[in-house]
Amino acid sequence: MRYLFFVSFFLWSVACFANDLALSDEWMALGHYQNNKSSIDSSNFFLSADGKDNPNDELKATIELFNSVDDTKKCLFPARYLFLKKQGLIDVDFPKCEEFEQFKKDLQPAGVTLLFTDAYMNNPSSMFGHTLLRIDTQRKGTQLLAHGANYGAFTGDNPGPLYALYGLTGVYFGGFTVKPYYDIINTYNNIENRDIWELNLDFNQGELDFFVAHLWEVGQTQSRYYFFTRNCSYMLMEMLDAVRPSLKLAKKFPLQAIPLDTFKAVYNSDGLVKNVNYRPSRQNKIRYRYKKMNERQRKIYLQSIEDKKYDLPSDVSDEEKAEIWETVYQFIQYQYVAKKMEVDDYRKQSFDILRARSKVKIKNSKEQIENVTSPLNAHESMRLVVGGGIRNGEFFEEIAYRPAYHSLTDNNYGLHKGAEINFLEAILRHYDNRDKFVLQNLDLITIRSISPIDKMFVPTSFQVKANIERWQNPKKEKEGYVGNLKIGMGGAYAFNDWLNGFALFDTKVSYGGFLPHNSMCSLGINLGVLADFDKWKLLAEVEPWWASQKIGQIMQYKIEANYLLGTNLSVGGHFLYEDKQGNDMEEASLGLRIYF
Amino acid sequence: MKKIYLLSAVTAGVLALASNANAYDSTGCGLGSMAWRGQSGIVPQVLAVTTNGLFGTQTFGISTGTSGCDPNGRVTGGTGKMLLAFLENNMEQFALDASVGAGETLTTIAGILNVDEGSLAVKLQNNFGMLFASNDVDAVDLTLAVMSIAKA
Repeated sequence: MRYLFFVSFFLWSVACFANDLALSDEWMALGHYQNNKSSIDSSNFFLSADGKDNPNDELKATIELFNSVDDTKKCLFPARYLFLKKQGLIDVDFPKCEEFEQFKKDLQPAGVTLLFTDAYMNNPSSMFGHTLLRIDTQRKGTQLLAHGANYGAFTGDNPGPLYALYGLTGVYFGGFTVKPYYDIINTYNNIENRDIWELNLDFNQGELDFFVAHLWEVGQTQSRYYFFTRNCSYMLMEMLDAVRPSLKLAKKFPLQAIPLDTFKAVYNSDGLVKNVNYRPSRQNKIRYRYKKMNERQRKIYLQSIEDKKYDLPSDVSDEEKAEIWETVYQFIQYQYVAKKMEVDDYRKQSFDILRARSKVKIKNSKEQIENVTSPLNAHESMRLVVGGGIRNGEFFEEIAYRPAYHSLTDNNYGLHKGAEINFLEAILRHYDNRDKFVLQNLDLITIRSISPIDKMFVPTSFQVKANIERWQNPKKEKEGYVGNLKIGMGGAYAFNDWLNGFALFDTKVSYGGFLPHNSMCSLGINLGVLADFDKWKLLAEVEPWWASQKIGQIMQYKIEANYLLGTNLSVGGHFLYEDKQGNDMEEASLGLRIYF
Repeated sequence: MKKIYLLSAVTAGVLALASNANAYDSTGCGLGSMAWRGQSGIVPQVLAVTTNGLFGTQTFGISTGTSGCDPNGRVTGGTGKMLLAFLENNMEQFALDASVGAGETLTTIAGILNVDEGSLAVKLQNNFGMLFASNDVDAVDLTLAVMSIAKA
């Protein structure tokens, strides 16, 4: 009887204690609870029927599990075991779990690293960059044998044209996958030509063990994937919170989780990052090497990639030869991945070069990378512009807000040069004469990639813009809203380090109630220069448009300038003139740009 | 906010079509038995080329299954299997490093074989012509050659 009393007292106190514990940061983070609801959707992640919304019940069910004999199930929750054991809520051993043991044996964990891969402009879903985790390895040698843990959406083999819509609205499920780090390097550095940045996290042994255990737990589950909110980067925040609940990283991203923002948040967390590392993309490696060459080397190098002949003049020094051959080799790899070469030709050329290279006994011709601009020092993603101006003689004040991400004239430090993504920019204006507030412009999205063609690389420059704006019909004085979708393609050329010119052929469809027949199609040629004088950013464009209906020809001139006051502060302005052979429009504005 | 996100979803849909980014990666392997899905459009085809056919590794697939990683997507197995999987997936970088006589892949291989990196690097560079005697060399030939060079 007495014994029974003690047992029931013990159970009662555990239950009571468990109540408090269920609401603790540790348990909330471990169950991925945000406002008492777990982000994980798989039912196998929960032991209690209402575990998804009830951390308390879930905790009790977990304690029950570890006091039961269901070893198979226990093996799915090694991190919960560590947690309960540490809290003194269970006093049992963790069972032998073959698969989990094999997982640890393969990984041989030595640490955790957060990886950021920079923007990939050829795919809208990668334009904001990407983050993933690496479980560093104890294996002798390098981290090539470490493993990347990637959280991504499972879209099936043929996701079809609606995949973007599905990706935004949570139709797909996301989950973790693991891959050797060398595969990740191949994918990002060598195939997509994206830089990789590594943040080595300062986890102690206990935290590392806990992370690996928790990755195993979450690795068995899936959750609805939302491109902007519950995405690859957001999930990693919850993972790090689970290991160190005091970080509270996930809470910093309630509305949007832009990969670079999450990367910065981790970097700025106290005591979390011990080291930063950079792995340039293949394309950048080639560029660095080319920059380092002397004039004669460059000439020989360019000639040999053009002629596909790799015998070098005998008076070239061994060191110079080594540099040229290694760069040519990288260039051939680039060409092959870009599908500009057949496999037989590719192999022959690759091996011919390396056979020659192997005869030169010089080792230290490794790429020395200087002046890398770290994305950690890039401006913040959100932008607020406060300013005013004059439009057709009427003064206005304006406020503009953009949740993400970067305009061509913004501070481009640490970001992809010539890549613009404006997402959901809204401009609200007050016109003085009419004393009227109007939504001047709403950019659903603007993407521009101004990527110069040079002797080695021939990228396509392009732009896509979808917006709603106030526009004045040239045939009437009346202004109204027009919805536009513009798509353009062309090329860019770098005159020198700071001046790019571009030409894009645009097509545009517009819809607006006040246009003749409500709609309009137009063709345009967008010519422009983009100048980068460190503190000054300048964009000058001219675009003749030929429009359908009775609108006729429209000539647009635009100059935009921005002067940087700091990383997150600048003064920008523009001048716009539209020659519409009727009611011409001119507009000038000046504003303070605040990034936050 | 939700409406605006939806609106932009439609826009993004158009963009996806415009940039032909609708093909997702389905090759590879993952945690548990989940498939690794890449992020990006043109990756899958190219990735398949890189991991399966770059230097013609199709002739061999006995111990490593498809595309050089184990079904769980992990680095696993004993020395020989690990070396083969590594060479299968890193041949282009290995070829460069071997010809230079230095580099990350040589460090890794020295680690796998548990031999001195410096002397392995010298031997690989000196024997480069033998390692890559033919343009059709595959991962199996290389694995055997690297192992015998390392022992010599």
